Amino acid sequence: MSTFVRTAHAGQRSSVGPDTLVLGIETSCDETAAALVLGGTEVISSVVSSQIDLHADFGGVVPEIASRAHLESLNPVVARAIVEAGVDESRIDAVAATVGPGLIGALLVGVSAAKAFALAWQVPFVGVNHLEAHLYSAFLEDPTLEFPLVVLLVSGGHTMLIEMQDHGRYRLLGRTIDDAAGEAFDKVARFLDLGYPGGPAIDAAALNGDPEAIRFPRAMMDDSYDFSFSGLKTAVVNHVRKNPDVSSADVAASFQAAVVDVLVTKARRAAVAVGAKGLVLGGGVAANSLLREEILGACATDQIRGFLPSRQMCTDNAAMIAAAGWYRLGTDGPSGLDTGAYPNLRLPLIDPDAWARS
Amino acid sequence: MLILGVETATSQVSVAIGGHEGVIAAVEITRGRRHAEILIPAVEFICQHTGIEMTEFGVVAVDVGPGLFTGMRVGLAAGKAFAQALRIPMIGISSLDLLAFPARHTDRVVVPVIDARKGEVFWAMYRQVPGGLQQVAPPTVGPVEELVADLLARSQEVLCVGDGALRYREEILDGYRCEIGGDAYPSAGALVQLAHAQALREEWVNPREIEPIYLRAPDAQINWATRAVRE
Ligand SMILES: [Zn+2]
Repeated sequence: MSTFVRTAHAGQRSSVGPDTLVLGIETSCDETAAALVLGGTEVISSVVSSQIDLHADFGGVVPEIASRAHLESLNPVVARAIVEAGVDESRIDAVAATVGPGLIGALLVGVSAAKAFALAWQVPFVGVNHLEAHLYSAFLEDPTLEFPLVVLLVSGGHTMLIEMQDHGRYRLLGRTIDDAAGEAFDKVARFLDLGYPGGPAIDAAALNGDPEAIRFPRAMMDDSYDFSFSGLKTAVVNHVRKNPDVSSADVAASFQAAVVDVLVTKARRAAVAVGAKGLVLGGGVAANSLLREEILGACATDQIRGFLPSRQMCTDNAAMIAAAGWYRLGTDGPSGLDTGAYPNLRLPLIDPDAWARS
Repeated sequence: MLILGVETATSQVSVAIGGHEGVIAAVEITRGRRHAEILIPAVEFICQHTGIEMTEFGVVAVDVGPGLFTGMRVGLAAGKAFAQALRIPMIGISSLDLLAFPARHTDRVVVPVIDARKGEVFWAMYRQVPGGLQQVAPPTVGPVEELVADLLARSQEVLCVGDGALRYREEILDGYRCEIGGDAYPSAGALVQLAHAQALREEWVNPREIEPIYLRAPDAQINWATRAVRE
């Protein structure tokens, strides 16, 4: 169990307000990002340097390559975020950085740099939970969202359904028991030789395929909100091995339809069950066009508000880190300069036992 | 000119402030928590207790390795951020130079040896010249046997220093008669002294030009089945 304790200034509230300008830094996986966000919601600048090309040959993120690239890119990315914002760096009130979850070596680059910036500028440092930041990305584009919200967070590392009752109050409804949705996309895309990253590759290939060509299994896991994608992945591999001449486009479309079917069915059921005022998508897989379409359709039918952050806000970025950092600075105060990186950090839940239950 | 030195390439974390009078303050922690958790509080501590403000620094010096990748990156990321935030230049110095520096008064060939884990070591060779040391063999990584073969090939009087020399003491002494001693780790004290000499000559760089010395390619094996190579 990883913990992340705010030691140095625990309990001390900081005065944050609409004028508080936060520099956010994100280096948890394969994007090096920096952003300036005013008052927790107004994005002044947001710069993302993607390493996709560096990892493409390997069909997945290679941790050591990611860490080296973060170290090279972080300073220019921060410099660009400041220049694009058109502000002097003396205007920055706090520095927020992702402290977990993520790749340890990658996280350490961002955390170490962020604390150094904070000490040099004599401003507070605030450590941010990457998963919580994804929940905040929706507020950056629509601050009028009302609670309770059901958030479907789907990325290469995570697949969870969360009830957001209020700022900082989260209940875990369900999560994947094996592969993350994005991981399934990557593996299937790799298997079909469609390229990397798998999400956009499958999305593109599926446009030319028949989603009903192959009836892949939907692991509905009875009434639970948990997900499982490893059976589906195996079904894809077995189908292609038995039918070597099958069209990759049909496989991609049918696979994507199965994943989206499961995600939408469960998200929709969860939204009804908790009486959600809205259903929000987050994470890299939320950029998938079929998923976006189906979620909006379901929300229209069920008459709840569906909110799809832009593709830039769904994928990893630093604006969401700055937004979550602004919020945490206000409620919890700054984090200690002895904060480290926590690769297995979990979302702070109001029912922490939910992890053990599911 | 005041220099902030940051050194995290081995299992030690060290921070020092140097000036024309030499080392003004130094903190060295060889055992304890992770580098990222110690480093920034150590910088804050050393500034507080010397009464030196961060804005008084003119240069940030960093150890650029070779060393343990994760630790190295903590110091490099922090050092580059300090320099960028304070708008000051940087000086990068190799961990092997730093380890050899305190042993500079010997007539022997100085061979700093850093434990690279996985049964390997990083090493280089230096000899005394007026005013300091000169590198006579560049940084290398390899198994201890390769180091011993390298020593044999030179057949000179040698002084091996560093945690790698201490860890593989028997293997080295078995293969080659030499002296083992000196410091176990490169220090930020040596870093600010060496950096000061360079700073006087204005031999500094922009943070973007700081190049880590990894010597090893990243491990990048990911084996997934693909349709193209199915049975
Ligand atoms: Zn993410």
